[in-house]
Amino acid sequence: MQRMFMRRTGLALLLMLAATALTFWLVTAAPGNVAALIAERAAGAGADGAMIQKIADDLGLNDPLPVRYVRWLGDALTGDFGVSIRTGKPMAEEFSARIPMTLTLLAGGGVLALTLSLVMGIAGAASNGGVVDRALHGMALVGASTPNFFVAALLVIVFSVWLGWVPTFGVSGFTSWLMPWFTIALFPASVLARVVRVNLQDTMSRPFATTGFAKGLTRRAVLLREALPNIAIPYMTTFGAQFTLMIIGAIVVERVFGLAGVGSFFIEAIRFRDFIGMQAILTLFVVFFVSVNLFVDLLAMLADPRLRRPRKA
Amino acid sequence: MTAPIYEVEGLVIDLYTPTVSVRAVDGAGFHVAPGETLAIVGESGSGKTVMTLGPLGLLPEGVAVDLRGTARADGKDILAMSPSDLSRLRGGFFGVIFQDPMSALNPMLKIGPQLAEQARRYAGLSAEAARKEAVSLLARSGIPDPEDRYGRYPHELSGGMLQRAMIALALAARPRVLIADEPTTALDATVQAQILALIRQIQKEDGIAVILITHDIGAVSVLADRVAVLYAGQVAEEGSAVDVLTAPVHPYTRGLLASVPDFRSDNASGTKEIPGIPPNQARLEPGCRFVDRCDRAIPACRSRRPRLQAVAKGTVPHRVACPVVIAAEGIVTHD
Repeated sequence: MQRMFMRRTGLALLLMLAATALTFWLVTAAPGNVAALIAERAAGAGADGAMIQKIADDLGLNDPLPVRYVRWLGDALTGDFGVSIRTGKPMAEEFSARIPMTLTLLAGGGVLALTLSLVMGIAGAASNGGVVDRALHGMALVGASTPNFFVAALLVIVFSVWLGWVPTFGVSGFTSWLMPWFTIALFPASVLARVVRVNLQDTMSRPFATTGFAKGLTRRAVLLREALPNIAIPYMTTFGAQFTLMIIGAIVVERVFGLAGVGSFFIEAIRFRDFIGMQAILTLFVVFFVSVNLFVDLLAMLADPRLRRPRKA
Repeated sequence: MTAPIYEVEGLVIDLYTPTVSVRAVDGAGFHVAPGETLAIVGESGSGKTVMTLGPLGLLPEGVAVDLRGTARADGKDILAMSPSDLSRLRGGFFGVIFQDPMSALNPMLKIGPQLAEQARRYAGLSAEAARKEAVSLLARSGIPDPEDRYGRYPHELSGGMLQRAMIALALAARPRVLIADEPTTALDATVQAQILALIRQIQKEDGIAVILITHDIGAVSVLADRVAVLYAGQVAEEGSAVDVLTAPVHPYTRGLLASVPDFRSDNASGTKEIPGIPPNQARLEPGCRFVDRCDRAIPACRSRRPRLQAVAKGTVPHRVACPVVIAAEGIVTHD
C-alpha cells in the first residue's frame, strides 16, 4: 500500500515534468517572436532589428531549447512564472488574482456534478426500467450531447433576459454563480449519471446482491448498502477524469459569463501571443490534471478493502 | 409425518429475456417438513434453483419472471405477500447458502457485522448480544479464531472458510428452512465433505428443514431423507432417499445413478452416460420431456404428459412419472 502510494506519486511527478517540457516546446514552436512583441510594446513603431536582437539576447531566447526549459523549470519551481507579455504583471500575481475565481467555478461545478449524477443514477436504478429511469436516461443523453456554449446562451436567455432572476455575467454574490456552475456541471453530471446507473445495474445482478435480498433487505436497501459501495471505484475514477476535463469547460464558461479566471486569461494569452502567460497557464493545467487524477486514484485505493488490506500471504 | 413448513405446488415459472422465453419450471412441486432434509437433484438447467428460490423472489435481476402456482411457508401464501412481508420472510424464515461463496459475499462488507445485523433484526438481540451471537455462530460454523474473523473482509478468507461464513450468515437470523444451493460445487473435495458434515450437524442440532439443491449424488446419500429428481422443469421421481437411490424406477433417475462412478468397483468404465442433451425449454412439447434420450420410450410418450404415480406405500410415498416402466415391470401403483 505505502509502496504503491510512493510509486504513484513518483509517476505523477515524472508525468508533470514530461508534460511541461512538451508544452514548453509547443509554445515556443508556435509562430510569433516574443522579443519582437516586447520591443513593439516598448517602442511602438520605433522598434528595430537591433533592439529586438538585444531583447532576445537579454532574455536568453537564442539559447538552445533544453537550456531554456531547464532555466524556466528552475524559476517555476521557485514560484516565478515570468511576467505576462500582455498585462505586464508577474504571472504569480495574475495567478493569485485568478485562481480563486476558477477554483470557485470548478468546486461548485464539481459538487453539483457529484450530487446530480448520484441522485440521477440512483433514482434511475431504483426505478429500474420504469418511467423515471427512461426519462433520466433521455436527460443524460441530452446533457452529454449539448455543447456548453449553447447551454450557457440558453440559460442566459431564459433566466437572465426573460425571467431576470440572475445576473447575465460577472460576479455579484451567490446567485451569479448558479448559471456558470450548472453550465460546467451538465456534461460531467450526465456522463457520471450513466456510470452510476450502468454500474449499479451490473452490480445488482451479481450473486452478492442476491445474498443481500436473501438477508431480507428491501431492493432499496440492497441498492444503497450492498451495491453502491461496489461502484465506488469506477465512479471515483470517472469523476476524476471528468473533473479535470471541467477546466477545458472553464475556458468557455469563464468567457461567456465574464469571470476573470485562468480560463479567460488563457484565451486572451493565445490571442495576444503571450507565450509566457500561455506556458504558465498550461503548467497550471498540467499540475491540476495530474494531481487530481493522483488524488482520485489514491482515494479509490482507500475505498476498496481488497487494495487497502491485501490478503496476507 | 409432520406438516410441511415450505411447500410448493403446481409451480410454473417462465423466464423472459427480450428475445427468448423459457419455461424453467413446468408444473413441479415439493415440500419439506421441520427436521427433514430434502434433496432436489437434477442436471444444470433442470430448474432446481429456479423452483426453490423463485417463489422467494431470489432470482438474479435482469431476467423477467412470470410465476404461477402455489407456494406456502408455514401455511402462509408467499405469492400473495407484499414485497416488504416477503423481504422479512426471506431474511428471517429462510436461510440461503449459495454456490460460490467468493462471489456471494459482498467484497466491500466485513463478515461479522452482517451476521450481527441479522441476529439483531430477526432474533431480536441487542447490539451487544448480537455481536456475541455472531462470534459464536462463526465458531459453531468451524471458523478458527472467530473474534479475529469477525472484522475480516471476504478476500481475507479462503473459499472453505467463506462457505462456513456463508452458513453462519444464513443461520444468524435463526431460520426455520435452510436452503443450500449447490453448497459444495465451488469447493475443494476435502472441504466439500467438511461443509456437508457441518450442514448435517446443524440440521440435527436445530431440527430445521433443509433443502439441498445439488447434482452430487454423493451429497444426497450423505444428507438427504427425501429426494426429488427434476428433469427439464418437471419432477420425474420423488421418494425417500433409500427408495430413490436403491430402487429407482424412472429411466432418467436410473441413468443419473448409473452415471455416478463407483470407486469400490475395479471397473471405472462401469459408469454410463445418458445419451443426448436436455430438451430446448424455449419450445414446449406436449409429451414426456425425457423422450428423446430415453431407451424405454414408446410412441405414446410423445403425446402424453406422464403424471406422478405412487409405486410404494409407506410414510414417504415413492412416486414416479413414467407409466411405461411401471407397466412393463409390473409395478403396482397406489393412487
